[in-house]
Amino acid sequence: MENFKDSELVLAPCKYEYLDHTADVQIHSWGNSLKEAFEQCGVAMYGYMTELPSVEIKQSAYIEAEGHDIESLLFHFLDELLFLFSCEPNLICSRLEIQEFITEGEELRLKCKCYGEEFVIGKHPQGTEVKAITYSAMQIVNEPEKNRFELFVIIDI
Amino acid sequence: MVVRQYNEELKYLEKLTPYSWRIKKGFQPNMNVEGIFYVNQTLEKLMLDELRNACRPGMVGGFLPGVKQIANVAALPGIVGKSVGLPDVHSGYGFAIGNMAAFDVNDPKSIVSPGGVGFDINCGVRLLRTNLFLEDVLPVKEQLAQSLFDHIPVGVGSKGIIPMNAKDLEEALEMGMDWSLREGYIWAEDKEHCEEYGRMLNADPSKVSVRAKKRGLPQLGTLGAGNHYAEIQVVEEIYDKWAACKMGIEEKGQICVMIHSGSRGFGHQVATDALVQMEKAMKRDNIETNDRQLACARIHSTEGQDYLKSMAAAANFAWVNRSSMTFLSRQAFAKQFNMAPDDLDMHVIYDVSHNIAKIEEHIVDGKQKTLLVHRKGSTRAFPPHHPLIPVDYQLTGQPVLIGGTMGTCSYVLTGTEQGMLETFGSTCHGAGRALSRAKSRRNLDYMQVLRKMEGMGISIRVASPKLVMEEAPESYKNVTDVVNTCHAAGISKKCIKLKPIAVIKG
Repeated sequence: MENFKDSELVLAPCKYEYLDHTADVQIHSWGNSLKEAFEQCGVAMYGYMTELPSVEIKQSAYIEAEGHDIESLLFHFLDELLFLFSCEPNLICSRLEIQEFITEGEELRLKCKCYGEEFVIGKHPQGTEVKAITYSAMQIVNEPEKNRFELFVIIDI
Repeated sequence: MVVRQYNEELKYLEKLTPYSWRIKKGFQPNMNVEGIFYVNQTLEKLMLDELRNACRPGMVGGFLPGVKQIANVAALPGIVGKSVGLPDVHSGYGFAIGNMAAFDVNDPKSIVSPGGVGFDINCGVRLLRTNLFLEDVLPVKEQLAQSLFDHIPVGVGSKGIIPMNAKDLEEALEMGMDWSLREGYIWAEDKEHCEEYGRMLNADPSKVSVRAKKRGLPQLGTLGAGNHYAEIQVVEEIYDKWAACKMGIEEKGQICVMIHSGSRGFGHQVATDALVQMEKAMKRDNIETNDRQLACARIHSTEGQDYLKSMAAAANFAWVNRSSMTFLSRQAFAKQFNMAPDDLDMHVIYDVSHNIAKIEEHIVDGKQKTLLVHRKGSTRAFPPHHPLIPVDYQLTGQPVLIGGTMGTCSYVLTGTEQGMLETFGSTCHGAGRALSRAKSRRNLDYMQVLRKMEGMGISIRVASPKLVMEEAPESYKNVTDVVNTCHAAGISKKCIKLKPIAVIKG
């Protein structure tokens, strides 16, 4: 088991909700920065797969994502998180910390440290499986002057 | 999207028959052909309500209603005939779910769209028969349900128990059910009763990303979650005795097993990868669509061909997956009844794909044409004497398996000549959602749903309690309405009605 600083074990307050959509689930997340809204959005996706309070922080992994605009950066970020869960190490995370977040210029990029543990049936209640991330009705509210940062993403389940 | 008042929108819709509506050109921009959708009175209301809701001013975080999506598909390059909405249609990703559209392969502008297949490539339904009757199963129903649940891995994070390494996976992707047969998981006859004989020949695993293979490997032989299920069902009604006999269904009370599953994470990743690729191809080839979600590529472009080859690999994955679960179901029954699956007559009646694109020959305006037929949430329903259906069903027409939702009934239909003409030999695929998942979670109570199932005599084993609410029958359109509409409209014909007595779900 990895050693973590106490500050790394503190979970972020919940700033997301699941909105109505006929077949799938629409995640709505927000925060005091676009970065925070991204982190919240990722945690919200994991929250649909299991009950997050059952997840202990025992290990971590890094993911990197790139995009040509903020929409595609968000898409690839969530796709990477889904992949982290679907394959080795089958990580389910309750805390995400984006450490690099470049949203200007030609190539947008982020690096995120993901905290959680291996998904174990029996320990973690089985929620709903996420098939894929979609661009469907994706909306990004990025208005620093009004301090409004919100994301809307539909995940296919 | 064109924004108009609801009353204005209605002017573009015309009721053709009591069971079908026409969508006129102009409903969405650039429509190449008209749209049509099949609904009865009840379903019509759901359909139009969805449109009315989308017309409300000031919608945030909204999504396109199904009827708009059908019209957007009608605007895609190379589409022929009509963009068709089946009775279970509802809003989906790009294409509506319950939407079929055919594209002329010999038109260089024609496109292929992963959104027209869906994320769960070759999601489908398989039906096994047995020679058992209700009275044989009732005394051991709970044990049998538990045994199926123990045999078949279900739900989020579950892993397959069929031994598989990377090399096996490559072979399975290429060979489909021929792999399952070679490894001894299925019977030779199973292949006969599958669309494409359980193997798409154009599959090319080298076109599939490592990422998809990594996601797929641990999940082979797992049921999944969401609306997927394995059910023990009992024949409740026979509408067409002769056709039912051909399927080995003798009389009411006979026991069947239905498996509804797809290509799991493998197919989902193939679709995701293709969408990313196609976005680039659309820019390069200047393909204009009404909706960013309708990512597509020309059929003859590299991206188009690569997608068709990897989609075929995903289709093979799905057949191997359903075959593995067929094997596990046969084992569970064999152990319970202490008889060989052969002696229990556990044959595959049929296996359909309801998320797929296929190259088929159809008659358009009196001429034979080669078409790429997209069926998303739509099942192929070929008429009697069609060369692509198995010998056993040459006289009855292709069996069409319509899976109900947890606790409701399922149907077996057969294909008709009229369906061949009107909908390119396509029909509905299931119930189709009516309530959103979030709404189901809020409005329904877990224990209440379970108690209701129990009251109906259904044993239920489910990995996720939340799913019980999301998948409760109340969340779906009534499958009987959907099937009756198809029957009345003549695009397929009712044959058998099945009722679940045990449900295994993610």
